[in-house]
Amino acid sequence: MNRTRQTFELARRDFVQRARSKAFLTAMLLTVGIVVMIGPILSMIDQDSGPTYVGLVGELPPGTGDSILLQAGALDMDVAVMSFTDMELAEQAIADGEISVAVNSLDELVFRENVQPRLAALAIGGVAAAQRGVIAAEMGLSPSEVDSLLLPVDFSQRTLEPAETDEDQARQAGALAGLLLLYMSLLMFGQFVMMGIMEEKQTRVVEVVLSRVRPTQILVGKVVGIGLLGLIQILALGASAIFTLSIVDIADINITDIGIKVFGILVLWYLLGYMFYSFLYGTLGATISRQEDMQGVAMLPVLLILPGFFLGQMALVNPDTLLVRIASFIPVWSPMVMGVRVTVSTVPTWELAVSILLILLTTYALLRLGGRIYRGAILHSGAKVKLRTAWRSAAQ
Amino acid sequence: MLEFSELKKQFGDVTALDGLSFQVHPGRILGFLGPNGAGKTTAMRCVFDLVLPDAGRVSWNGKPLDVATQLRFGYMPEERGLYPKMKIGEQIAYFARLSGLSRSDAGRAAAAWLDRFELGDRADAKLEELSHGNQQRVQLAAALVHEPMVAILDEPFAGLDPIGMETMADVLRDLASRGVAILFSSHQLDLVADVCQDVVIIDHGRTVLSGEVTELRRLAPIRFLEIEVNGRPWTTELDGIQVVDANDRRRYVLDRNAAIEDILRYARQDGEVTRFSFEPPNLTDLFREAVGR
Repeated sequence: MNRTRQTFELARRDFVQRARSKAFLTAMLLTVGIVVMIGPILSMIDQDSGPTYVGLVGELPPGTGDSILLQAGALDMDVAVMSFTDMELAEQAIADGEISVAVNSLDELVFRENVQPRLAALAIGGVAAAQRGVIAAEMGLSPSEVDSLLLPVDFSQRTLEPAETDEDQARQAGALAGLLLLYMSLLMFGQFVMMGIMEEKQTRVVEVVLSRVRPTQILVGKVVGIGLLGLIQILALGASAIFTLSIVDIADINITDIGIKVFGILVLWYLLGYMFYSFLYGTLGATISRQEDMQGVAMLPVLLILPGFFLGQMALVNPDTLLVRIASFIPVWSPMVMGVRVTVSTVPTWELAVSILLILLTTYALLRLGGRIYRGAILHSGAKVKLRTAWRSAAQ
Repeated sequence: MLEFSELKKQFGDVTALDGLSFQVHPGRILGFLGPNGAGKTTAMRCVFDLVLPDAGRVSWNGKPLDVATQLRFGYMPEERGLYPKMKIGEQIAYFARLSGLSRSDAGRAAAAWLDRFELGDRADAKLEELSHGNQQRVQLAAALVHEPMVAILDEPFAGLDPIGMETMADVLRDLASRGVAILFSSHQLDLVADVCQDVVIIDHGRTVLSGEVTELRRLAPIRFLEIEVNGRPWTTELDGIQVVDANDRRRYVLDRNAAIEDILRYARQDGEVTRFSFEPPNLTDLFREAVGR
């Protein structure tokens, strides 16, 4: 009998049994459903956005509307004006959301809930310019002179550092979504591995299995079977995310391309991170055979993952600081930190290669170490087995 | 032939196996007996490398066990266990596949074992939905589904009702008739005497008695004599003859070559002898004698 075939059978059982469970299917359908809904909702929000309307009421200097539009153009604001015969109608329009501000003669600016300073400045500037135009006309200036007087100064604008583009923001958002999904997947499927191993010990079925296969095969089979389940969940969520993003039409950004890039990086780092953490979870799972011992033992991987999650968030905004760069080489954190770095910035190839190599080597060492602890602990039922005891038992 | 040779195993200060040796032959059923903690389970686990002996070895037909050979053995551990939420048909087929059967053969073998235990219509039931007795049957099916050439069964009769025991005994007899070497441990000595041809009694990790059950009884140096006179146990003291009293019965312990005619004549002086038995020790007696308890 081929060892690989046996390991495949072990993996297959874990995959099929867990994939069939109602809890997994429900959670999967629910999350995919939520992700699919994001696109249409974003599209609706996008459709709602149009020009901001400024209402004009009462006695205002002639040309106030044009003056406001002129100012808005200089400030790169999408604004339109509407005139109202009385304040009551204007207030109704504010309440209905048709206009954002009403300019009531030269007396007041009326908003719905909160004063919007930028809009207020625009309205005040527009009215003031119109008023200056009236005064200038009264002083005998010709209409063209008045127009040139009212023309806003055309400043060119520049920044010292490259501006953050919409695409950068989209990449950051994608990296954050990927980071969250990776963090949740590592915890969730790692704990599935731990639970599976603990249950086999608790139900004592492990001795029946061990009479046919080697301990390391069980560990590897479980990690592969459950890992595949995790991968399918990520594929389903990723595919639905890309589908839903393709619905949203954002100018100048190929959001689907960004989605595919984030998705590819996520799959790679999920596989690397999952293997590392699931062997750790599996090894720890072999030391317990009671549900009540699980929470305490499961804390260790959580404590290791958590800093990686926070470092990943740091990497979102500052992907090249020394701390973030160092963290992206440390195997317990690299899946999250390097994953984010390669999404939001350009990482030298050697850094990426070293980071991947380090996590692969550590995972292999963990498999050897974990395999021995598993072998030493798996037939000790009852109370939690100390790692040292398990290590020594394996030698006997 | 499965052979345990000079197996030694130490767990800290505890000696589990201390030079244990015996053989299990194809087509025969061997009862593996011993008090609790004698080393039975440890010895059985050595067959599957679940415990690695400090010294000695287990061999099959003179060769050390390798993985391929171990896969042709069946094992039912003392600590029963299967997947509670897995369908029993799938579960038995799964263990068959782990033992090397193809997908289709595994499915057929699983169905055949379920039919044999009259569980064919419950193949889609989860293990946890079955009664305790049926769970035991599924456990046995999982151990034997791949038609092993050796069956190692740790306490297979524990927890079974009389009907379940009879079914189990029939299965073991049937396997032996097809050439399977069977080793099983038990504390139910009457049952062992009924089912087994051979017996090994161990204590403190070493063999204290082994051989064919009938031969061991025949070769025992003592015989038990029991007499009833006028329908009541005859309790007259006999000079120099040891007696064992239990449950209103008196048994005289005699040399196997004792002149029982003299005792019979003596008893007749007290009335009509209504019952007279002169028998070798049974397995329980041999066990007690062997372990000295």
